[in-house]
Amino acid sequence: MSNLVVSNISDGTTSLGTGYVVNGSAKAWCNWNGQGTVAIRDSLNVSTLTDNGTGHYTTSWSSVFGDLDYSVSVATGSQTAAQNVWDRILGIREIRANGADWYASNNDSDVLVDQPVCSCTHHGDLA
Amino acid sequence: MTQHLWERLLEAKSRLKPVQSKYRVLFEDPSAPDEPAKVLVPDPNWMAAALAGDILPPIDTYQRDRLVPDGQPKEHPYAKPIGAMTEEEAIEYLVMKDIDPAVWRDYKGNRTIMKIVPVEMIPSDRSYRNAWRIAQ
Repeated sequence: MSNLVVSNISDGTTSLGTGYVVNGSAKAWCNWNGQGTVAIRDSLNVSTLTDNGTGHYTTSWSSVFGDLDYSVSVATGSQTAAQNVWDRILGIREIRANGADWYASNNDSDVLVDQPVCSCTHHGDLA
Repeated sequence: MTQHLWERLLEAKSRLKPVQSKYRVLFEDPSAPDEPAKVLVPDPNWMAAALAGDILPPIDTYQRDRLVPDGQPKEHPYAKPIGAMTEEEAIEYLVMKDIDPAVWRDYKGNRTIMKIVPVEMIPSDRSYRNAWRIAQ
């Protein structure tokens, strides 16, 4: 594999430092089915998903984050087929440098419920 | 110089077809006996990288990195990649990487608290999910 080493990229008018591109890329993301036979649909930088019980999951990263100051974005939905109905709650229970714990529910009650579509995205600095 | 693990994973994802593992790892947390059995699900892109080889670092680098405080440099991102694994070896790697050693190394009790099983043995009916235990 060859490397292209540049400090800036440009469209001919506007120039942007490649550091913005590298630092702005999601370092880990995951989309999984939390119902039936739990499975990961697609991901980046994930090694495993653990099904801990009803509506409780853990994701583990392959290349871990440098600290706990990384950013988390989540969504979960009630419909598998279209994956375009993001009407449920996916809350973060705990983040660690090497993974994260998730709680899913139908609303903001404390009742955990398996969800057919769960997704998370993480930005931050890797170790 | 060895490329960062994240870059290797990114490159691998662009060329390797994901592999859904035929195995799952059932385990119980000995420090939380009231909690249900947990099911470890291998990531399909990670499994493809493990089977292809020359992408993932040696497992002992993760084990040493467990002792390194957050914010300090870690060994595994720049460790020399290991060769291709079989699916069975890859599952053992994941057990050591993502399950607490209290389960797979330190537990001395009589209960079976970890089993590697074919995915077909995991019930798809989750009606009583929070009552799952490993059959003894």
